[in-house]
Amino acid sequence: MNNFSAALNAYIEQVREWGQREVRRAGLEADRNGAPLPPDHPYFAAYVDFRRRHPVPADDGAVPEGPAVRMAAINEENAYWDRGMGVAAPGPGLPAPIVTAAGTPEQRERFLGPFRGTDIPRWGSFALTEPSGGSDTAAFRTRATRTDRGYLLNGAKCFIGNAARADWVLVQANLDPEKGRAGQRSFFVERGNRGMTGIKIEKKMGLRAYESVSFILEDCEVPHDNILGGERPERTSKSSAYGATMGTLNTTRVGVAASAVGLARSAYDEALNFATQSGAFKSIRVRDRLEVMYRQLRAAWLMTLRAAWKADNRIPNIVDASMAKVFAAETAQDLASAGMEIVGLEAGAGHHLVEKLFRDAKALNIVEGTGQIQRIIMARNLVGLPR
Amino acid sequence: MQIARHNRHGRLGVDFARGEGDEIIAGTIGRFAADELRPRLREFESARTVSESVRERFAALGFETLDLAEEAGGAGLGLLARVRTNRLLAEADAGAALALDRFAPAIYVIEAFGGVEALKSRQLNLGQSDLRFALVMDPGAGDVAGARVAGQVAWIPAAGADVLVGLGPQGAWLLKQGFAFEPVGGSALHAAGASSVKFDGTPILAWHDPVRAAQALARIRVYYASLIWGVLSDAAGFSRSYALDRVAFGKPIAHHQALAFLIVDMYVAVERLGLLIEDAAVAIDAGEGRAVGAAAAAFVDAIEASRFVGPNGVQILGGHGFMRDFPVEKAMRDCRALGLLAGGCDAAREQAGAALAATISERIAA
Ligand SMILES: Cc1cc2nc3c(=O)[nH]c(=O)nc-3n(C[C@H](O)[C@H](O)[C@H](O)COP(=O)(O)OP(=O)(O)OC[C@H]3O[C@@H](n4cnc5c(N)ncnc54)[C@H](O)[C@@H]3O)c2cc1C
Repeated sequence: MNNFSAALNAYIEQVREWGQREVRRAGLEADRNGAPLPPDHPYFAAYVDFRRRHPVPADDGAVPEGPAVRMAAINEENAYWDRGMGVAAPGPGLPAPIVTAAGTPEQRERFLGPFRGTDIPRWGSFALTEPSGGSDTAAFRTRATRTDRGYLLNGAKCFIGNAARADWVLVQANLDPEKGRAGQRSFFVERGNRGMTGIKIEKKMGLRAYESVSFILEDCEVPHDNILGGERPERTSKSSAYGATMGTLNTTRVGVAASAVGLARSAYDEALNFATQSGAFKSIRVRDRLEVMYRQLRAAWLMTLRAAWKADNRIPNIVDASMAKVFAAETAQDLASAGMEIVGLEAGAGHHLVEKLFRDAKALNIVEGTGQIQRIIMARNLVGLPR
Repeated sequence: MQIARHNRHGRLGVDFARGEGDEIIAGTIGRFAADELRPRLREFESARTVSESVRERFAALGFETLDLAEEAGGAGLGLLARVRTNRLLAEADAGAALALDRFAPAIYVIEAFGGVEALKSRQLNLGQSDLRFALVMDPGAGDVAGARVAGQVAWIPAAGADVLVGLGPQGAWLLKQGFAFEPVGGSALHAAGASSVKFDGTPILAWHDPVRAAQALARIRVYYASLIWGVLSDAAGFSRSYALDRVAFGKPIAHHQALAFLIVDMYVAVERLGLLIEDAAVAIDAGEGRAVGAAAAAFVDAIEASRFVGPNGVQILGGHGFMRDFPVEKAMRDCRALGLLAGGCDAAREQAGAALAATISERIAA
């Protein structure tokens, strides 16, 4: 489905082989158990080992594609095997680019260093969403107050990926509510901090392979050193405040779109395999459906790749990225739903992969900016929708 | 287009009013669903059945045989009453609605083939409160009268049955023995149970009659469509009230036009589905020629509405919708699963198209 360089294809082939051998199985196991695999499950150590042997291609020119296209290609393949296990994968996760962009050199070393060259599975986590709202990021209620000993965080966060197993959670809080968004800063809350309470692992419809955690911050004290970018961010990095976070979410949007395409491709393959094996493919209705599915899938992938390619070539891609995110997420949902119809009662029985994909897919139109928020972003750019 | 309905005076004409009887039924069932089923939604889902006490209370209401003909010991209120009841029950929990209906839609097959009397001579008394029926679609049913039947289906939303009824395009059969239910995980409708079914036996009753088979299937499609209607009505209603409470960007999310229009479109989808379902039920009750096509079309519409309303019910709740604390994720799964039953969407679409083609050919010939 692509015309990538031989070097990138070779890497993807390794991801594919790993996905086929380990990831799909682990994802199904977690789904069946209705809970993420425990952090000491052998899968995670094997994953760390796999990543050590096959590191993601670096920016050294060995793979000619730019970082965004590379990420899209890899995310797509990973999500084909299991989107949930992709998020559950050990590593610093979403905060890594934020910490890289906005952290002080000491913070980069202290918080990202332990992830390098280790054979112990570790996780990082990123807490933005609050029970009272996730889309309206300016209205976050979690507060940070500076004291002589550090910062006190008070508030609540919800649906935070990997937060219960993470070494640290990067928590967004407002230090200066009068400044609105501009008052927001990020704080590292390390594991075992007693101010992080009421930890609840949510029961989800799908994507059960990773923890989505809700928790309360109750006079949660962190040292002065734990404010991302340092206490005087302008000296270390201009982008340590709200902008760094939102800037990162703009780039990861294409990554989510790519994951949605991977999930959609998986649903398409399941439907196609079933239709050819059962003979249903002979029905013109089934062939029509598969044609519609394939066309939608292809369009979603092209949209995603173009948004990534523009990012790599420093061409403004804000509309492309939002378009890819919403179209790919809806494609994943549509294809999983149509796939269930083609597979029929086997899907109803609950043991067919396509049924799991149907439950997994829905989240992709919600996380990292809902479909409505993506449409608002596009509308602002296309027709000047007022704020 | 004129909607032919028997109005309150028993005359045919346009009449969308609900009679007093309808209101009483709706009140009773609505209260039962709200008080007994809805609060225990997740409990029944994990137990994979409804409790005995709830079953008894439902039986005591006397709605089990609401739509069966009076000769068959039913109340003779017709399919229209059944679909309205189903809607209310499924608004609370479609799985529980199925669990409470021990006749499932299997009884429609027996009725269509005039088999209710024959049941009695086979020591099957419909009034016996623990006698349960289940339905499977068997494409070969009715091919050879009196022959053994064998096959399997991957899933039905039931935990077990005393009588298994098979329906195919040519006819139907009824097995009292020679079938086995095996529990499966099930994708949804868990309160009803979930099983795969293997059958291999000699039917105690078997029929060959494609016309009656189509009539039975029409009722079955409307039956399932009405459960979908209830699920979607709940998903649309629940997410609408959530959107009025939840505030983002300084106002209830329902007041952002993008969501307001989505909520409106979901409402329209549920309303149009309801009208098509009731129209099909009226046609079936009146024995109209268009009934088979109307039923197939209503079922297709239910599935199309599911694809739109189910996921958007979740979407309106954002991240909360994806969590099992709220009923919208269950609604999304339940309506998807219901649409896989009764032979599925493509077969219904085929039949709706064929029915339309037949009326057009008739018109051309005339
Ligand atoms: C599986 C999963 C994993 C997640 N992981 C993380 C994580 O690791 N870290 C984290 O911080 N968060 C995480 N989230 C949270 C996610 O980012 C939020 O759910 C999302 O941003 C939406 O916020 P909300 O759920 O509060 O919905 P709300 O913001 O309350 O939105 C509710 C509905 O209103 C709509 N809406 C809101 N504003 C408007 C408007 N102006 N116009 C039109 N419609 C509008 C939304 O589109 C949505 O349909 C996760 C969520 C899920 C489901």
